[in-house]
Amino acid sequence: MTNPAPAAAKPGGKSLPPGGPTKDSMHLAESSLIPGDAETIAAWKIAFFGAIAVLVILPIWRPSPFLEIMSFVPDGLIATFTVTFASICIALLLGLLAGLGRIARTTIINRIATVYVEVVRGIPLLVHLFYIYYALGPLLHLNGFMSAIAALSFCYGAYLAEIFRAGLQSIHKGQMEAALALGMSRTQALWKIILPQTIRVILPPIGNEFIALLKDSSLVSILAVSDLLRRGREYASTTFFYLEAYTVVALIYLVMTLFLSRLVGLMEERLRTHGRKNN
Amino acid sequence: MKMLQKALLAVATLAIAAMPALAAQPKLVFGSDCTYPPMEMLDKDKKIVGFDIDMIQAVAKAGGFEAVVKNVAWDGIFAGLTAGDYDAVLSAVTITEERERTMDFSNPYVDAGQVLIVNKNLNGLTLLSQFGGRKVGAQIGTTGAIEVMKFKNIKLKSYDEAGLAVEDLYVGRIDAVVVDSPTAKSYVLQNARYKGKLKIVGDLFTDEHYGIALKKGNTKALAMINRGLEIIKKDGTLAKLAHKWLD
Repeated sequence: MTNPAPAAAKPGGKSLPPGGPTKDSMHLAESSLIPGDAETIAAWKIAFFGAIAVLVILPIWRPSPFLEIMSFVPDGLIATFTVTFASICIALLLGLLAGLGRIARTTIINRIATVYVEVVRGIPLLVHLFYIYYALGPLLHLNGFMSAIAALSFCYGAYLAEIFRAGLQSIHKGQMEAALALGMSRTQALWKIILPQTIRVILPPIGNEFIALLKDSSLVSILAVSDLLRRGREYASTTFFYLEAYTVVALIYLVMTLFLSRLVGLMEERLRTHGRKNN
Repeated sequence: MKMLQKALLAVATLAIAAMPALAAQPKLVFGSDCTYPPMEMLDKDKKIVGFDIDMIQAVAKAGGFEAVVKNVAWDGIFAGLTAGDYDAVLSAVTITEERERTMDFSNPYVDAGQVLIVNKNLNGLTLLSQFGGRKVGAQIGTTGAIEVMKFKNIKLKSYDEAGLAVEDLYVGRIDAVVVDSPTAKSYVLQNARYKGKLKIVGDLFTDEHYGIALKKGNTKALAMINRGLEIIKKDGTLAKLAHKWLD
């Protein structure tokens, strides 16, 4: 699990972006895909196309069990995708709310947001899953899918909140002062001046959280949700093709995360050139 | 170098010293998923107890070996056997043709079969084939899960532990659980939480026997176990244990 590792941002001051002490090192977060770095891109190509090639060659080389495995897991892939996508959407909303709450001047809102972040970050995701599904099951009656989405978005909402907070605090206080001087209200200034700039800063670390979330979604297999990992386990448990089943599962995850990390890399690149023009 | 020689010598001496003891009382390690009452489970003091445990101690005494039971997870339990993490799997393992292809089995020691557990208020459904379109739970990789997979129109929910499936049935997220009859009885008749809320329906719909699984070709251990099993079957110990745990 990744921690957003919020930089110790000095409130109001010229503070640090999330993920590292300087703006450049921020790009060295999980995907570590530095745009324009030929070596990284070469390595990415080897991993990505290599994984795809292996996924194509294996079923041709040994149809049993590899073709069987590949026809067994696709619905698990859809489940993994659905859980990940839904969780990302809800976590973004939760994260934005809690992140704004963390810098709010109203004590009660600030306190609620801070307690949420601290409590959630202190409990492992796996425990969250068990808690929502089994411990609260008799009360909530959420099915496996809903429990998985609830736990993932609840957890990642807290991680994202820290990214939002650090991002918001990384914007120079002069921006807010200027907006207020122009007659905007604080809310207006936040929405029209601060947030748009924040998004440029936080998009890359948020992209990394998405990749982490996709990988962590494999934990939901303990809730009898038939995700990619669960399907692989179900196949292996009766056929005993452990090596083969988990190889396929690992490669599919790898292709998905590499694809996402490249997207994040491209996004960084675009934002960076775009940002330079504006500054 | 000298250190190495000394170390080797020490190891060799130890091995020679230990040999007679080993020969007198060979030790067999059994892997067991202790989440399966009444066959194997943990008691309040985290001690492994259950029918299988009592049985293997009796078998060990009769067969002239020392039995140690190790608590492991069910998913991957046979992979651990192949990897040599333990000598045998003692975990209410049903003897199936498919499993016999990859492992050796002891003589059967308990007759069991699959039954359905449902909510007490569910009436009229007594056969697995009637559960088309419904959700049925079972422990991953068990003969119960394999039975459910035979019906393409039933949605199988596979759990890491049988107990988690029963809990989900109790909460109402699934319609039935397929599980071995001794375990079903233990949950439905003895568990304070589920007693009166769940019921067993229909008859045993498979004819199954539990055996101890060993790595293919481990004939020495297999012979010791089978010898012990024969003795406790003849002298009535096995029947006594079955009465204690399974009735």
